[in-house]
Amino acid sequence: MLTDLYEIYQQMLREKIIFCFSGPVSQHVVEGIGATLKLKMEVEDNDMNTIQKVFSIFVEQMQNLMNYSADRLSQEKAGGDLGVGIFVVGYKEGHFYVRCGNKIHNDKLNMIKDQVDELHNLNSDELKALYRKRRKEEVPDGSKGAGLGFIEMARKASRPIEIEYSTVNETLSFLSITVFI
Amino acid sequence: MEKLIIQGTKSTPYVCFDQASDTFTIRGESYPENTAAFFTPVFAWLEEFLTSEQSQRLVLDFELLYFNSSSSKALFNMFSMFERFILQGKEISVNWRYQVDNDTVKECGEEFKEDAPDLEFNLVEIEKSSRSWTV
Repeated sequence: MLTDLYEIYQQMLREKIIFCFSGPVSQHVVEGIGATLKLKMEVEDNDMNTIQKVFSIFVEQMQNLMNYSADRLSQEKAGGDLGVGIFVVGYKEGHFYVRCGNKIHNDKLNMIKDQVDELHNLNSDELKALYRKRRKEEVPDGSKGAGLGFIEMARKASRPIEIEYSTVNETLSFLSITVFI
Repeated sequence: MEKLIIQGTKSTPYVCFDQASDTFTIRGESYPENTAAFFTPVFAWLEEFLTSEQSQRLVLDFELLYFNSSSSKALFNMFSMFERFILQGKEISVNWRYQVDNDTVKECGEEFKEDAPDLEFNLVEIEKSSRSWTV
């Protein structure tokens, strides 16, 4: 068994982690945790723009996990499958952050690395221009969304998107993405 | 033409396109699990309606509290479709309704307006309603 749950719980409190989830992410998870996250931030009197930014980054992160996780739970009855992964929403140095991790095929990892690298040195006007340019283009191959998710997150983030990855085996890596609001 | 009504959920907006009552509304939040699957019938209805002779003038009300990036792409495509029909002689306008303190939705509206110059795109500030999210 995993370490004592109370110990994990206390560690999360110490690190100001608001939510932690590990497992298959369904649309119900995104809707339910998303709504609870908004409620919690509202109860704590965060301003509406902060709440919206956190929620928006949460949704984009979840959709990446659902689309790109290499760990899948097939649910044939519903005609699809669920991405499996882990995410936390926390608070550090005056900022909320959403951190999300999942296994990923290396070709997808490289695609995401390229997308995020492209954004690192752009200011807010350049991000806005890129977002609008990309929105006019056809959806890129291999992208299940509109290819806009990372630009959307970068526009709402207070610092550059952080990417870490470690090798699982020759075809898979574990990718974790952290976005500070 | 048969009206189109799609009930809203937490992650998909309420859609009502009804010629009889002259109501064309998309309202709520939009972050579907499968954006293409959600918007396909919406686009199909609009395309058929605008192609028909009966639609000379169309006024749509958008009142979205939140939409994700792939919904933003779908909305952009929808406004581009409207511009295409405007060039063919249709009169189409969009009322983009945003709550007074919702800067995000207001700014998104401004960007859509700039990116669809041939479309009559009105930014309409509305009173703040009670928060829509419940657990």
